[in-house]
Amino acid sequence: MGPYWNILAGLPTTVALSALALAIGAVAGVPLMLARRSSLFLLRAPARAVIDLFRAIPPIVWLFIIFFGLAETGLQLTPFNAAVAGLGVISAAYLAEVYRGGLMAIDKGQWEAGHALGLSQFHTFQYVLAPQAFRVALPSMATFAIALLKDTSLAYSIGVNEVLFRANSEAQIGSGSSLAILAFAGGLYALLSIPTALVARRLDTALRDKVAR
Amino acid sequence: MIPGRPRFGHERSRRAGVGSDSAETSPSARAQPIVRLTDITKQYGGHVVVDAVGLQVDQGNVLAIIGPSGAGKSTLLRCVNLLERPDSGRIEVDDHVVNAGEPTSGRRLAALRRSAGMVFQSFNLFPHLTVLENVSFAQRRVLERSGQEADERSRELLASVGLSDKADAYPQRCSGGQQQRAAIARALALEPAVMLFDEPTSALDPELGLEVLAVMRQLANDGMTMIVVTHEMSFAGSVADEVAVMADGKFIEQGDPKRVFENPSHPRTRQFLRAILER
Repeated sequence: MGPYWNILAGLPTTVALSALALAIGAVAGVPLMLARRSSLFLLRAPARAVIDLFRAIPPIVWLFIIFFGLAETGLQLTPFNAAVAGLGVISAAYLAEVYRGGLMAIDKGQWEAGHALGLSQFHTFQYVLAPQAFRVALPSMATFAIALLKDTSLAYSIGVNEVLFRANSEAQIGSGSSLAILAFAGGLYALLSIPTALVARRLDTALRDKVAR
Repeated sequence: MIPGRPRFGHERSRRAGVGSDSAETSPSARAQPIVRLTDITKQYGGHVVVDAVGLQVDQGNVLAIIGPSGAGKSTLLRCVNLLERPDSGRIEVDDHVVNAGEPTSGRRLAALRRSAGMVFQSFNLFPHLTVLENVSFAQRRVLERSGQEADERSRELLASVGLSDKADAYPQRCSGGQQQRAAIARALALEPAVMLFDEPTSALDPELGLEVLAVMRQLANDGMTMIVVTHEMSFAGSVADEVAVMADGKFIEQGDPKRVFENPSHPRTRQFLRAILER
């Protein structure tokens, strides 16, 4: 069981990498989305550039740029931190668009109802629109979280000691059948992804009708 | 239609402490104007939707605005609480004044809107909140009442619109008529000086519409100042103190409802009323 235990021991790193990148993205995605929606060009243009750029360039290229490229400028991150930073910013870019879509799906009468009650623009967003937009965005967020979980395997390429990295090492040194070892690693990703999708589907059904579309 | 219902209209006493408020000092407070619009113009891309319209509604009066679709009725109403910013003109609601074109802070805008309760054609209740929370929400966030205080007041208001048993339901579990009555309670919760109704029954079948009209009638009887954009002629005829007929962005006729309905002076009014009667 040696190689399999070793791969299993990489699971916390994979989970931590996913969770941290998702958390960064979920939080940073909000101001990024607000800037993207701003009527001020000076906010909107850079937000749009960040969103487009981080989605247009493959994640592995970003990881290389952050880990190898930035090292040249004297900023040498650990592989894990570089992966969190890279996947975190990419997540922010994607989730900003997911949030924006959620917000656009809400009937504009909700803004008007908030304003008519004398709520400020921000309070209307905070208490009326955001809770509903979040419900709309939830399935897309879950889809993204699953994609992100799988993308953390790219961190193997900059030496993060996660599931794929360990599986690949075990396969290379011939500690067992390569097919079995790699299939085991694949199974671990599936084991995390599938329940996430199920939970998201449940939540979506539960929240679906509390939204004005 | 809802027996034993508590009455609205309490707390109509004008907020004390507002120095410039003549209602406290003047014995003729009944005739005090609550809403005054002067020369309101609104255009969209060169198309003039509201064309230099003025109106005044005194305290306790009900103005019904009728007229064909596209006449600018809703746009005009939405100018009263500045959901639409007019291109020119002056808006006075209660003791708030906004001149079009001059920069208006969010705070002044919010203060004016607080004085004008708005009821929308499509209800626009908050679907993620229960009926009770919908009514309590702005009391807590805008009037900064405690949760308990707000909920108590909300239950009174819900009782007054016949919705006590729906307090804990979510809006989508309510009929359209119930939703609209809840929306009226929500708007009343801020103790507005005037209530604005934008075709409140147009999205409802006739029966549910009657529930809502009964509540509005009660509200008018209790002395609420109201501006009602509507196609409900019998409501306008029996409840309104004044009817204004709007066409092509202007008031073409204005006056006592009986006079306007029975003896319209403008040919466009006659044409519009005939179209309604022939339905």
